[in-house]
Amino acid sequence: MKRGARYVAVLLVCSALPPILGRAGVLSSLRSVELSIAFCTAAAAISLNIIMGYAGQISLGHGAFLGIGAFTSGLLTLKGPQVPFMVGVLAAAIAGGLFAIVLGLPALRLRGLYLAIATVGFAFMMQESLFKWSRITGGSAGIEVPRPRANAFVFTRDYDYLAIVLAMFVLFWALDSNLVRSKLGRAFLAIRWDEPVAQSFGIDVSRYKLGAFVLAGALGGVSGAMFAHQYQFVNSSTFDFNNTSLLLVIIVVVGGLGSRVGATIAAISFSLMPGLLSWLKGWDLIVGPVLLMYVVVRHPRGLGAAMRERAEARARGSKVVTAEQSMPKLPAMPRPAAVAGRPEVLPGAPLLEVLDVSVRFGGLQALDGVSLTVPKGSIVGLIGPNGAGKTTFFNAVSGMVRPDAGAVRFVGADITKSPPHERVGLGIGRTFQLIGLAKDLSVRDNFLLAQHLFAGYGSASALLALPRATRVERELGERADQAIEALGFERFRDTPVLSLSHGQQRIVELGCALVTAPDLLLLDEPSAGMSPAAAESLAERLRDIRDELGRTVLLIEHNIPLVLDVCDEISVLNFGRILAHGTTADIARDPTVLGAYFGEAVVA
Amino acid sequence: MGETIVIGLANGGIYGLLALGIVLVYKGSRVLNFAQGEIGGLGLYLAWAIVEKGHQPWILGALAAVVACGMLGALFERLVVRPLIDAPRLTVTVATIGLLLLMIGIELHVSHGSPEILRGPIEGLGPKIAGFYVSPTRILALAALLVIGLGLATFLRRTDFGLGVLAASQDATATRLMGIPLKRVSMFTWVAAGMLGAIAALLIEPQIGAFAPGNPMTALFVRGLAAALLGGLTSLPGAFVGGLGIGVIESVVGDRFVTSTFPGIQTVAVMIVVVLVLLLRPQGILGRSRA
Amino acid sequence: MSERRLLLELQDVQAGFGSQQVLHGVSLRVYEGEIAAVLGLNGAGKSVTLKTIGGVVGVWAGHIRFAERDVTRLSAEERVALGLAHVPQGRQVFPDLTVEQNLRIGAYALRRRDRGRYAGVLDGVLQRFPVLSSRRDQPAGTLSGGEQAMLALGRALMSEPKLVLVDEASAGLAPIAVEKLFETLREVNRSGVTILMVEQNVTFTLKLADRAHIMQQGVIVYDGAVSALDQERVASLLGVGRLLGRHVAAAADSRREEPAPGPVAASANGKAKNATLPRKRAVAKPRSTATTKPRAGADAKTRATGSKRAVAAKRTSAKPKAATARKKASG
Repeated sequence: MKRGARYVAVLLVCSALPPILGRAGVLSSLRSVELSIAFCTAAAAISLNIIMGYAGQISLGHGAFLGIGAFTSGLLTLKGPQVPFMVGVLAAAIAGGLFAIVLGLPALRLRGLYLAIATVGFAFMMQESLFKWSRITGGSAGIEVPRPRANAFVFTRDYDYLAIVLAMFVLFWALDSNLVRSKLGRAFLAIRWDEPVAQSFGIDVSRYKLGAFVLAGALGGVSGAMFAHQYQFVNSSTFDFNNTSLLLVIIVVVGGLGSRVGATIAAISFSLMPGLLSWLKGWDLIVGPVLLMYVVVRHPRGLGAAMRERAEARARGSKVVTAEQSMPKLPAMPRPAAVAGRPEVLPGAPLLEVLDVSVRFGGLQALDGVSLTVPKGSIVGLIGPNGAGKTTFFNAVSGMVRPDAGAVRFVGADITKSPPHERVGLGIGRTFQLIGLAKDLSVRDNFLLAQHLFAGYGSASALLALPRATRVERELGERADQAIEALGFERFRDTPVLSLSHGQQRIVELGCALVTAPDLLLLDEPSAGMSPAAAESLAERLRDIRDELGRTVLLIEHNIPLVLDVCDEISVLNFGRILAHGTTADIARDPTVLGAYFGEAVVA
Repeated sequence: MGETIVIGLANGGIYGLLALGIVLVYKGSRVLNFAQGEIGGLGLYLAWAIVEKGHQPWILGALAAVVACGMLGALFERLVVRPLIDAPRLTVTVATIGLLLLMIGIELHVSHGSPEILRGPIEGLGPKIAGFYVSPTRILALAALLVIGLGLATFLRRTDFGLGVLAASQDATATRLMGIPLKRVSMFTWVAAGMLGAIAALLIEPQIGAFAPGNPMTALFVRGLAAALLGGLTSLPGAFVGGLGIGVIESVVGDRFVTSTFPGIQTVAVMIVVVLVLLLRPQGILGRSRA
Repeated sequence: MSERRLLLELQDVQAGFGSQQVLHGVSLRVYEGEIAAVLGLNGAGKSVTLKTIGGVVGVWAGHIRFAERDVTRLSAEERVALGLAHVPQGRQVFPDLTVEQNLRIGAYALRRRDRGRYAGVLDGVLQRFPVLSSRRDQPAGTLSGGEQAMLALGRALMSEPKLVLVDEASAGLAPIAVEKLFETLREVNRSGVTILMVEQNVTFTLKLADRAHIMQQGVIVYDGAVSALDQERVASLLGVGRLLGRHVAAAADSRREEPAPGPVAASANGKAKNATLPRKRAVAKPRSTATTKPRAGADAKTRATGSKRAVAAKRTSAKPKAATARKKASG
């Protein structure tokens, strides 16, 4: 509540100042226009930052949304219904959001460069066709856009309109701030870092990506409307590709991908610079691009990554040395209410059944009729040489890969076709060989991310920071803090995971996996990068997970001694087929194991 | 219909020239060069200054433009592409956006925004093909596309260095392990791209008439990009095929639909082609499925 | 024994990625004419070692000397020009170029030195690898894994190198291909090319290499002749001896108590035959028992535990079962 009150106060002050200063003669009309445009640009930058900075999706045609919003609001307030300004703005948001769906849906299938091309194409299409539709938009002649009015009072004076712009900007700022602190923002950041990791947190990547587009499009539309009512005019070239779309990209990249503050500062600077450097006519368009190239060369992974790199460099100097850190006991988290409905399985009964699964990649048969049963309450190990198909097997179980034949059953239910982000909710947790955490986020944020499925509030609650969202976030935070304390990692609470040592990252990862109260844990080479002593500690923790926490574990490992030490059952995989399966005692006597270990080609 | 096709093919030659530059840079650096069109635009201003202001023959202005743009490519490679050799490719693509805007900025600064005209090398109506007068520069563009395309392809496949360029586009690390200096490969790619941009702009200009900062090269770039995508971002012959393809599609669409009722219908058609290619066959007609 | 020249030397090399140090002071020497191997577990640092030699990963401290020159600060390309060649991890042939074009690229350094030799060298390589000759004009991407391995090796030989660095060449290859690779590498070495290989496949390496460098956590813990090693010693040097040793001993004990397997016969060259199973395939030939190993023996065993497979494992047993094994072999 305090936060909300603060924002309201700022909003009131900001909107009250310009009219007062203007009437007092302190603030000229010219300055007001400059400031107004600067803050409109900043608002546009914030909207682009949502899709490019937070969600990490390249969008080179954002100007199209500005144009869509501008025309929508302009037309509705000018012609026909002549709706009030706020309705026009709302319509602009809706129009922007709708068109974003049109762009976003095909964009879901595209990555990187191809996505960039698609956004360019979209912007060009808008610019050349819709915006030039003279019958509606007036083409190059454009339309006049009226200033807002409140009953009899019209915001004709520029310092009066500036009040509205500032008010809207504060709203944007607040929305963005709420976004980042909510499960939405965290989900976007996780997607930006690594999509499979995001999925393993239970995030429906497609839905969230689309959501990011829609949000960016809607807010972009609003900022476009703000421009239109400032200029009192909009035509087909107002938001043309070079001057708007590409310029916004420069602003967001220079300002720092993912930084609301940076984007704002960059936007205002770029906007005011021509005025300030008016004696250097035309130089802003030279300085700007040079600045962009300089920033890009110095910080190839974006300014956001630059901050991460600085954290890494700091860590290199002061990394907490964990010579032989033994793994702390992993927290026993109570089952959240959301998973109460999961069916129970008796110990010893099959928890996971992989039935005759085959996967083919082009010409390579990665898995060939693989069957495996994991009984509840056991630790099962899967070993085999490099290239045997172990990771493919895990991907089939966790949903990243759809088998060509065969089935995967969990607690009796067929999950072969369910998407990866759903499997977490079913009770399957997973770790990754290269640590499945959003490494540029803090330890605490990762624990919050891990509880994504238990964040029971919607997007509207998130954006408006409604009481429900605040309450749930507090609960998630408490659970996260509990887990961090149980691990003894209080001092790392706000440290980016990147800065931790590999072993510490692994501890956090396991902690996060357990927070979701999984029944089955899939561990992908958990001892990778560990010294033999640390691996022994890991083995103890794995036994804890089985005995004290009552979980079931399936692990892929190269560390045969660990496997022999800790597993109840072992399967040997090579060339996509199970070669042997049995208890540890059986397998330990089996030359197959030693053969697999020493890299002997073991053949079916 | 014949007339439409001929126009389309003639235009396609120009799109193909741009596509050639785009594909070359993509093959060499795995980067989409957004400035491919506008580098040539800057070259146009230089040529214009030499020919129209300095009253020198066209060929001199043209040569100066080609050399200058080549050097511009080299400069960009040295200052931006090379330091970013291990950076994500998208980052370098964003840098080319910076280059694009820089070109426009310089042009604005130099010309104060007013449009100029640069007459072409050959005057006259040209031969009559299928009932339509095809201007000599259009024919020149097609011829240039063919010659340059074939020349490049031969160079790449037959010489050691050329093979190195091809190899680098498939596996940069392995190429280094063969002892091939990636720096030189990279430099070659961008110098050639700059020169191709200049040639394309010089041959396009007589059709367009007046040119201004950002105009027409950006719109043409988008068509060149579509052509490169259609033919396959990794295929030089694809640039040729794609260029002609886009040219014909655009021409046919423009013929069927009246532009006053459907403004920009040609752009929309081209963009629809782009989206279809991206969704259905991202590697284009002649590209390999492993981009 | 002729005086052997020192071809490659690493002096206390430290290196790593980002903030993670992987090599903590690696020193090793490779002499002309030998096959040297670097062994180690995943993460021990063997691949990084090779990459620092190749110049792909920068050295944080220490020196590398190759062909009597300090190459520590030289680029990868410059080292190739000095006579270093690579068979990279995963082979990494250029998939869209033909076999011949791949070979030609391998000869880049050669053609700059002495273009006239190219034709002769190409002929030589094609003769040595007939499979490449028959697939000369095919895109390299269409070759099988084993054929690509041959191509990668041939490509490396095209520069007439002094030293070939082979990075986990056997990874992902079918057993027959591994066997072929083994024979080829041995042949190449006999013709005078020094080889430094990094391998996960211990058995393969022990049969092929003269000298082994075993790594654990970024340092070399063993540097000596392969002939002085056996699998148990290797296991302990790799750092897993403790637990594995326990199991090896337990397994050896349990086997001692079992009756001799009936229909299974093992020959001295390790081929396993089992009359009860329909399919089998040969495993890479072990080194002949006639050489220096005191407890060499081939021992093969098959087990059917519900899935079909044939296994041949070369093991050393606590007791001299060698005599019995050899008897079975000749039988």
